[in-house]
Amino acid sequence: MANLLFYLMATLATVCAIGVVVARSPVVSVVSLLGSFASLAIIYLLAGYQFLAAVQILVYGGAVMVLFLFTIMLLNLGDPAVIHGESEPLFHHSRRTLLGLGVAAAVGAAGLIAILRVAWSAMPQPAELPEGGLDPLDQLAASMFTHYSLAFEAASVLLLATAVGVLVLAKRNRRPTAEVFPRESQQPATPSSPPTSTPSAGAQGQEVAEEGVLS
Amino acid sequence: MNDLLILLIKASVIYGGLLGTAALMTLAERKFSAWMQYRIGPNRVGPFGLLQPLADGVKFIFKEEVVPDGANPWLFRMAPMMAAVPAMLTVAVVPFAGGDIVLFGQNFGQLSITDLDIGVLFMLAIGGLGVYGVILGGWSSNSKYSLLGGLRASAQMISYELSLILVVLSIVAMSGTLDLRGIVAEQTGTWLLLPAWNVFQQPLAFVLFVIATFAETNRHPFDFAECEPELVGGFHTEYSSMKFALFFLGEYCAMVVMACLTTVLFLGGPEVPYWADAPWFLQLVAFMVKAGIFLFLFIWVRWTLPRFRFDQLMHLGWKVFLPLALANLFLTGLLVSF
Repeated sequence: MANLLFYLMATLATVCAIGVVVARSPVVSVVSLLGSFASLAIIYLLAGYQFLAAVQILVYGGAVMVLFLFTIMLLNLGDPAVIHGESEPLFHHSRRTLLGLGVAAAVGAAGLIAILRVAWSAMPQPAELPEGGLDPLDQLAASMFTHYSLAFEAASVLLLATAVGVLVLAKRNRRPTAEVFPRESQQPATPSSPPTSTPSAGAQGQEVAEEGVLS
Repeated sequence: MNDLLILLIKASVIYGGLLGTAALMTLAERKFSAWMQYRIGPNRVGPFGLLQPLADGVKFIFKEEVVPDGANPWLFRMAPMMAAVPAMLTVAVVPFAGGDIVLFGQNFGQLSITDLDIGVLFMLAIGGLGVYGVILGGWSSNSKYSLLGGLRASAQMISYELSLILVVLSIVAMSGTLDLRGIVAEQTGTWLLLPAWNVFQQPLAFVLFVIATFAETNRHPFDFAECEPELVGGFHTEYSSMKFALFFLGEYCAMVVMACLTTVLFLGGPEVPYWADAPWFLQLVAFMVKAGIFLFLFIWVRWTLPRFRFDQLMHLGWKVFLPLALANLFLTGLLVSF
């Protein structure tokens, strides 16, 4: 049962991964990637990593992919054949295609040889999974916040720096324009009263940065 | 009886209950809106109109299916399923009653399909996938109204899911577990003569959570993905027949699940107040009453409040909810550690 599920999910993950590259439309690519992530999460579950599977779905499935879709839809990156009215072949230059296929075949052959050379008799037998999986939360949290706390904090500082960097980059090219959307129209701006609300040119960039933290 | 059979029976009962509640919710919505607007509401099919959801379902099945020109055929058909399935999956970890159920001399175990150590994470992770149905439905319809609805849904979900998770984190910090049964167990007993429910211990978190729940389930006053006056129905403008019904099934299932989650996190789940070891059927009744209050709240708010503006929604999400949720988490952390 578990073996069957594993092979099913492994096949699905591979097919979806190929779909990401082959799909014409970016939205179909994102959906394929989502399918690949979901199959991987089930494989993690089969291997006994509950927390990893949940986080995989929560972070990649729930947040990152939604952001991708949001960006794609906002920029209207549709199917090129529909947008430009022409259908381009998927592979342009036959020589490059051949080269790519050759490299892929070589890598695949190397992997196959490596797998075949493994002494299967020396492999450890699959052990019975402990209750609560291989990553019980208390142990994970304990090691993350005691032994690896420095690395953990460093990673969070890195993410913060990334967010600030995105904010700086997003605001740089923005001319201070007049306010397009009134933030809160509590009182109608009359000509006699000076505008009280500050220009909110950075508000949107800030949102982008905050969403960057999430991902 | 072997374990698999027991599991199947429990799953059928719980899923039957979920779908039945969702169907009844569509009727309740129409009935309550009618009463609030001094009308009678559906009363022709069955006693008090109780069979109206069945009649609606039959009608939906016999309607013509329309796939608009230029729509992406695969994604267009997949979107309603992606809207309905995640909401139904999440109910698997809800503990509806504590204590073992013994019926006809047969021990059925506790009333939930499964108990996960990471039940809270499971609910948030799978529940968060429901937005794909809305986004993909909006995109694949090849219509500007649908696209705008999908765009709004994705922006809204990301904004409010963040606050929702931060609020849940403060509850998790208080109880020290991600197991839903553990969170329920932590709320038993009394606290200052009140039941030791998180709604009394974490009032700010409760308010934030309930409001964020409205935004997560795309309900009024945050239903910008649909928004009939400006987007003609939003993401489901182009949908007809059973596909349209699936979107609604997903929405109502999500409401039921969110009501269950609120009950578990804040109202002590199936606990009967001041009676910790009540028999399981009383606990089940207590759970249904508590969840029913929230389901009524969904309907009540929809037919009472006007809709927000989209920039107000974003302002509320990022500049009010997020700081408040962070502050609440910080205070909870201080409280727990000292």
